[in-house]
Amino acid sequence: MKNIYVLAEHRKGTLRDTTWEALAAARTLAPQFGAEITCILLSNDASTISDRLVQEFSKVIAIEDPSLETFNSDACIKCLVSILGDKSDYLLLMGNSNSVIELAPGLSITLDAALATDCFGFDVVDGALCALRQIYSYKVNALVSFKGAAKMVATLRSGSFPFTPTAQAGGSVEKMESPLKSEKLRKVFVSYEEAEKGDVDISTAEIIVSVGRGIGDEPDMDVYQSLADTVGGVLACSRPIVDKNLLPKYHQVGTSGIEVKPKIYLALGISGAFQHVGGIKGSPLIIAVNKDARAPIFRVAQYGVVADINDMVPALEEKIKEIKG
Amino acid sequence: MKIITCMKWIPDTSEAELSIASGGKDIKKDDLDYDLNDWDRFAIEEAVQLKEKYDGEVTAISVAPEDAEEMLRECLARGADEAFQIWNDAFEGSDGFVIARALAEFIRKRPFDIIVTGTLAEDDGGGQVGGMLGAMLGVPSATLVSRIEIADGKARFRRELEGGLYENIEMELPAVISVATGLNEPRFVSIRAVRKVASIDIPTVDLDELGLDESQVGHSGSRISVEKVFLPPEGEGAEIIKGSTEEAAARLAEILKEKGVL
Amino acid sequence: MTILEPANVPLLGIPAPTIALIIILGSIAFFTYVMWKRIDLLKRCAPDPRFSDVSERIKMTLLYGFGQLRQPRYFGAGLLHILLFAGFMILSLRSLTLIGRGFSAEFHLPFMTGAIAFGYDAIKDYTVLVVLGVCLIAIARRAIWQPARYAHPGTHGHEGEAFIILGLVCSLMITDMVYDGSAFIPHPEPWYFFPASALAASFMKSASPDTLNSLHIGGYWAHILFFFGLLNYLPISKHFHVITAIPNVYFSNLKHGAIKPVRYGVSDWMELEQCGVNDLTGFTWKHVLDFYSCADCGRCSDNCPANIVGRALSPKMISIKARDYAYQKYPIFGSPKDFGAKKLVGDIITEEEIWACTTCGACERECPIFIEYIDKIVDMRRYLLEQGALPQSLQKPLQQIKKKGNAYGAVKGKRAAWSKDIEGVEVRELKKGDTADLLFFVDSCGSFDPRIQEISKSFARILGRTSCDFGILGQDENDSGNEVRRIGEEGLFEQVSEKNIEAFESRNFRQIVTYDPHAFNVIRNDYPKKFPIIHSSQLLSRLVRDKMLKFSGDYIGGRLVTYHDPCYLGRHNNIYDDPRFVINSIPGLRFREMERCCSRSFCCSGGGIMLWYENEQETQRMGEKRVRMAQEIGAQVIVTACPFCLINVEDAIKTTGNEGRIEVIDLVELADRSMS
Repeated sequence: MKNIYVLAEHRKGTLRDTTWEALAAARTLAPQFGAEITCILLSNDASTISDRLVQEFSKVIAIEDPSLETFNSDACIKCLVSILGDKSDYLLLMGNSNSVIELAPGLSITLDAALATDCFGFDVVDGALCALRQIYSYKVNALVSFKGAAKMVATLRSGSFPFTPTAQAGGSVEKMESPLKSEKLRKVFVSYEEAEKGDVDISTAEIIVSVGRGIGDEPDMDVYQSLADTVGGVLACSRPIVDKNLLPKYHQVGTSGIEVKPKIYLALGISGAFQHVGGIKGSPLIIAVNKDARAPIFRVAQYGVVADINDMVPALEEKIKEIKG
Repeated sequence: MKIITCMKWIPDTSEAELSIASGGKDIKKDDLDYDLNDWDRFAIEEAVQLKEKYDGEVTAISVAPEDAEEMLRECLARGADEAFQIWNDAFEGSDGFVIARALAEFIRKRPFDIIVTGTLAEDDGGGQVGGMLGAMLGVPSATLVSRIEIADGKARFRRELEGGLYENIEMELPAVISVATGLNEPRFVSIRAVRKVASIDIPTVDLDELGLDESQVGHSGSRISVEKVFLPPEGEGAEIIKGSTEEAAARLAEILKEKGVL
Repeated sequence: MTILEPANVPLLGIPAPTIALIIILGSIAFFTYVMWKRIDLLKRCAPDPRFSDVSERIKMTLLYGFGQLRQPRYFGAGLLHILLFAGFMILSLRSLTLIGRGFSAEFHLPFMTGAIAFGYDAIKDYTVLVVLGVCLIAIARRAIWQPARYAHPGTHGHEGEAFIILGLVCSLMITDMVYDGSAFIPHPEPWYFFPASALAASFMKSASPDTLNSLHIGGYWAHILFFFGLLNYLPISKHFHVITAIPNVYFSNLKHGAIKPVRYGVSDWMELEQCGVNDLTGFTWKHVLDFYSCADCGRCSDNCPANIVGRALSPKMISIKARDYAYQKYPIFGSPKDFGAKKLVGDIITEEEIWACTTCGACERECPIFIEYIDKIVDMRRYLLEQGALPQSLQKPLQQIKKKGNAYGAVKGKRAAWSKDIEGVEVRELKKGDTADLLFFVDSCGSFDPRIQEISKSFARILGRTSCDFGILGQDENDSGNEVRRIGEEGLFEQVSEKNIEAFESRNFRQIVTYDPHAFNVIRNDYPKKFPIIHSSQLLSRLVRDKMLKFSGDYIGGRLVTYHDPCYLGRHNNIYDDPRFVINSIPGLRFREMERCCSRSFCCSGGGIMLWYENEQETQRMGEKRVRMAQEIGAQVIVTACPFCLINVEDAIKTTGNEGRIEVIDLVELADRSMS
């Protein structure tokens, strides 16, 4: 491949970290293929965002249009096709954000490109790019090839490609004509909506006791609340717990829930799906208890115990009480 | 309103212990129970609720082998009016692109107002079919949708963003909507409910009816292919605390104390 | 003087017998019309074959209808009711006599002459005073003390009706006293023969003869009017029970522990247009008779564990709301009320109420007139479930039973895994055609729940050590289906029960034994084919009696022990004594009953897949409530005989902070650990 394109993602006027993670991935791949990295910025006002981009990218292609203020997959596909439509021999990298999840599949068809979603790593096999993905409830790793496609699109799992800023690119912005002027979009943004705020604010909590599917189908939530109280933290959870109505939505940690920045994160019976881990920001001390020794949560945790949390939690609470006296 | 919903038949791997099959390109599936993909359970429910609310018909489709008939039968019991099973053994090993293509070829000949799918399937976790299907049929699509209303030939829906944020979007119909889990409460399907739809014919659809040949499906038709699968190393990353429950609990409590929690 | 008799005094120029005839005919016509309307609704309802077992039914009617045997479960109120009921029985003869006196001053019932008449009149006089007294106390109880169980949450109040009825009864007594008292003055007798008349007379002593005549005649007609007023008020009020209670007891359910079929008299319920009950006429006629018969006494709700912990369910409100609905939808006069989109099942009786029930049977056991609730709840659940409206928390376990025969989602092949490597015992997996004396039915919980597997192992050890020839079904065993049926998934119940029956029939054994009362109940009472089955407590008690099993006090060590009766062992199957006998045969053990024990045992929140049910309204767990009851009597060990009770109570011991202070143990485990 000759070119690696990175889509800059922004929301409410600010660049999102997924942009930098995609750049980090591009930087590891570019030397191996001798490829050039180019940033694509689709926004209503390129100047406010491009300042930061040109510090890291030597080249930024920008399209400005009022309808690009929010992420509109319909508009983005049209713009990306106007940029990439006549090109070949490239890899397009994007963060696997909730916006890109909507964009990538349709885009790959329109561009006639091969698509690998939610990649957490890359490998080069016989000179060809392969992506690492997780399959079967995120319990199995798979090495996936693009079958020699000349057009490739990959979306990247949040947190898998740590980025180190250099601020030395001194790049330039090339503005392109918006293809959206004459066309009516089939999708229109109406408004943002905030999730219901509850009596507990897990987003600011320093200690979080978080429970997942592993608490079983007949959990006694009081046991976990009690542990949270004992360590002076709040109780949070992963998505299945909210889906089962065991805790309200404002307890849910994850990309579709609430992003948290605790100092200590006690993950009980949480397998560690990326949507969940993606909601834990900063570098907290993660302690995981899970009966499945291969659970992905152990990959991000500093300490782990392979055990059934139904046995572990009462024992732990007792020990903590002993220490506290 | 014509509603189409696409279902996936997948092995239930969430609680099972998995091992790699010989050849190293897939897991052993013999002991696994197959079931409707959980995300699609919300999709069929949403399709039926849309039908109940706005009047219409629901068609359930799946690219799935013979065994999956029970899943489609269950869809009928849930309230679908008809169901089609697309299959040929050549579909084995297909990626999202091939599945979307087969569905698109089938749907192309049928009028529809809305296609409802789940956003993801838990087996390959690709999340590709909904959006690809929309692009192939030339209609807009949306994913991670957590609320849908229909008015004036448009869908007004809410989709999930990150950090507890949602966006409300208005989209022209026809369109593809891929739903998030939790947007409704899927109904229960009793034995009797399935028995009541036992006589409904579920036609099977083969490649020729789709205008596809064997080379266009399965591994050969796919755009990406799995070269190798492997189990992640145990406890990679974390320091695993060994010992009895008692000992491990004591060690954890100590760590918490060291970190100044207690 | 001679007092004028009502029959001889025309009123407004109309002869008294004519007036009496008009009143009687008018009242009876009205009463007949109302009763016809009420019975007409019963005829529209679903069939219910309750006409067999006549001798058993007559016995029930004598014991519980006329004998009022369940009344003293609430001693004070029960005693008052028995007095009132006896009073009504005695005074019924008096009422007939008085009706006759409207036609002839000399009227008397056959044989009511001379000494018999004198004796009856004396008894009647005492009875009048007793009934009056009881009514006054009842009025005071309701007005001043207001027992909580009479309250009607929401807007379905009928409290006022109680005062109307009690007022009418008092008026009946007082007018009778005026009628007799006014005649007593010219013909006095010793007061201790006729205390009511003497008392009334003492108030009228100074009255002129004319006034006395007026009081006598006025008292009479007032009495007659109150009598027929009361009679006609009964079927339009909650006091219909005065008329329907006796038939309600006669037609009561004789099949304890069993759930009714989807519809009686149908060969294949699967072919029915609709499964379950969503409207009044979907209930059986007996169930609607139940609604008519409820006296709002609230004993059911007062004992309902769901009600006590704050769930939406209050059994009596189901009867009251359904009766209100019935009276409005099928009115005596005027047009039926339009309920619009509001449905009886789902809106008036809410889904929350319907799912909150654990089917423990405390309500049914308490009701003095045998009103049933479990069958109605299950019928309504059948309807809701068919609509797909099953609580999410119950969906997965049911799906798992459908796919794998157990709610735990475990692989079938691992069903017997618990039985390997038990020290000193080899558990035989019976293949088709194999023979054993005892077939040990383990059920899903005992096969897959790690804590409950311990009970399975204990039981296997006991069976082994006492040289019982036993075996298990292994992977041919399916979930027993007790809760599957009670959740309303009849199709799945048929599926699992058929598989189990097939497994039973292809093996030779003398008896099935299980330590799970839920499995015990469903196999014994619900399975379409009958197999001899006993509960572990019965087997243990037999082994102790036969001296096959001997205990030492080492394990229990003199601790204070109490016994928690599992609902499906006690209330549903009347096994109370065997477990207590086994417990008390352990040397050195101190035993104390909780206040709620035996048939008043308090459900710890249900078994089978009810374990998965999450209730949002409850303010505390039933198990916690139960543990506190044990705490109150200072119990150190709670013995139970049900795996689900064990799970619920063990959880509750932790959440109430009693870990290390109270131990819960299954009877089987206790026996295993105490074997000497």
